[in-house]
Amino acid sequence: MAPRLTRVLDWLEARLGTRQQVTKFLYRRLPVGTTWWHTLGSAALFLIVLQTVTGFFLAFYYVPSPEHAYDSLVYIQKEIPFGTFVRGLHYWGASLVVSVVFLHLLRVFFMGAYKYPRELSWVVGVLLFLVVMLFGFTGYLLPWDQKAYWATVVGTHIAGTAPLVGDYLWRILQGGVEVGPRTLGRFYAAHVLILPAILYGLSLVHLSMVIYQGIGPTPRGPLSRIRNEDYARLYEESKGRGETFFEHLLRDGVVAFLLFLALVWMAATWRVPMEEVADPTDTQYVPRPEWYFYFLFELLWKFPGGWIPVATFYIPLGAVLVLLFLPFFDRTTGRSPLKRPVATGIATVALAIMAALTYQGASAPAPPREGVAARQEAKALPPELAEGQAVYDAQGCSACHVLMGAGSAAGPDLTRVGARRAVAWLKRFMKDPNAVKPGSEMPPYAGLPEEELNALARYLAALK
Amino acid sequence: MAPSASVPDMNPGRRRFVKAALGAIAAVIAGVIGVPLAGFFALPALKRSERRWLEVGPVADFVEAEIKKVLAKPLVAQVWPYETPRVALYVLNQGSGKFTLYDIHCTHVGCPVRWNVQAGRFFSPCHGGVFDKDGRVLAGPPPRPLDRYEYKVEKGVLYAGRVHRLNAKLEFEGWHHA
Repeated sequence: MAPRLTRVLDWLEARLGTRQQVTKFLYRRLPVGTTWWHTLGSAALFLIVLQTVTGFFLAFYYVPSPEHAYDSLVYIQKEIPFGTFVRGLHYWGASLVVSVVFLHLLRVFFMGAYKYPRELSWVVGVLLFLVVMLFGFTGYLLPWDQKAYWATVVGTHIAGTAPLVGDYLWRILQGGVEVGPRTLGRFYAAHVLILPAILYGLSLVHLSMVIYQGIGPTPRGPLSRIRNEDYARLYEESKGRGETFFEHLLRDGVVAFLLFLALVWMAATWRVPMEEVADPTDTQYVPRPEWYFYFLFELLWKFPGGWIPVATFYIPLGAVLVLLFLPFFDRTTGRSPLKRPVATGIATVALAIMAALTYQGASAPAPPREGVAARQEAKALPPELAEGQAVYDAQGCSACHVLMGAGSAAGPDLTRVGARRAVAWLKRFMKDPNAVKPGSEMPPYAGLPEEELNALARYLAALK
Repeated sequence: MAPSASVPDMNPGRRRFVKAALGAIAAVIAGVIGVPLAGFFALPALKRSERRWLEVGPVADFVEAEIKKVLAKPLVAQVWPYETPRVALYVLNQGSGKFTLYDIHCTHVGCPVRWNVQAGRFFSPCHGGVFDKDGRVLAGPPPRPLDRYEYKVEKGVLYAGRVHRLNAKLEFEGWHHA
């Protein structure tokens, strides 16, 4: 080391006395089997710091009021040098943080690293995960464009379905009876002041725990099943043969760097979606949540009427509680996922459901706006069918049916309905769905004039 | 294992006293700062009287038995924001001076419902909720009919008040924002 640097370090050491701790920290031994998967925590931390920094700078120009929020973002993107890039970093970085934090949670789960003596690291980690999701929810409103506004309306309504306290929760979240200036103020304060304080506080606890207990090793060989009383001996043994943290730090650095490159590429080349300024009076808008909330939004399909709180409250609350207290009811000795089939099985099923719902949400066709053709027609229709198509459009059938990839998937896809059903059946069904098919959700269209009904049935029957 | 920390030599009475005194100081600070902050945060959200009436428009604007979307104007001027945003609602003129004023939000999770004149129904774009002209649920997941505004007519002008909920029989079930 250069003599000048040594002198500086000596000067600092005389005043801080931290050299020994730093050395101990950097050169502490890690257990055998510290892999690339073990970089996800530090990758999450790196991305969070990056979000913090880009967030600081966005705050210079962003104005948290309904009159100015949207324009201030347009200003950032149009007028401020690198504005689009900086906002892109923050916007795409948010999705990366959610993804990496979730992968980190999965890594820890499947390696059984939430078990003795790291139960509390897991609990704090789950809290951090929730804080990250809250960051996503609160940050989503700040641009004050249509999707921001309506996603928040849906979000606060979902909170409002909570039993007993729902109405209060709904109002307190919004700061009143509607999503308005106070909502934006609250979400802003939460997003840039309160949540960061909680996030960094909990991160500090989380990190000091991993430093104190050491990282959870890959559950292989003698570490795939550990009784608590053997833990200290086995872990020390493994550490005796492992590498130092400083060596592992290179893996952390490489992963952080690759994520950084990916993020820079996204921010530089992908457009940040920005819609029209929020309009609370628009009744044509189709609300959609951010992709990491799709599973919840899609889950709502499955629980109609009085069952709504199951999807909006009991399942999410249950899932959070199960996650939080996982280490306290899964006290088996198995750490390898193969040595604890029940936990692994449940988690795999839950993940598959979440993935399926997310896919469903991502691929769901949106109902068309009024006055916009419901579908792209491949060829012009003969007049007798065009008439039926006009009825289909006028009656708002696409509000519940998908036709050639357009519409909402509440009811069956009608793209090839003619291959299944004939004119007479369709007519009878539309007049009184429940009589033809008991339990049908479709409202009857008995009030439709006979000729329109005929035209509609002919049109549908021709769809093959 | 770290050695367990032991309490150093200290008079037990003094120790109790210091504990109690620190606890009392902390409690007073927490209470004096906590109560105002809780009110500061929650009370504006729970205020009932705000924006009591919205001006919907002259009664003559509403054709009998038709549903019309209106952007109503809040009457209460506030310090901030200077411009009170308008509030969208659907008005159905029931005839003989009776009106029904619907909240535009689906009772499922709040998506904006669209009135389709030809179909004579309200459609929600999110999860397939369908309501009839009276706001009854025809299909989909909504748990109750469309919420309604209370209203009054003064000097030929229609005003909308607070929003209330209905049960399946279209009977008053309680103030939505109470």
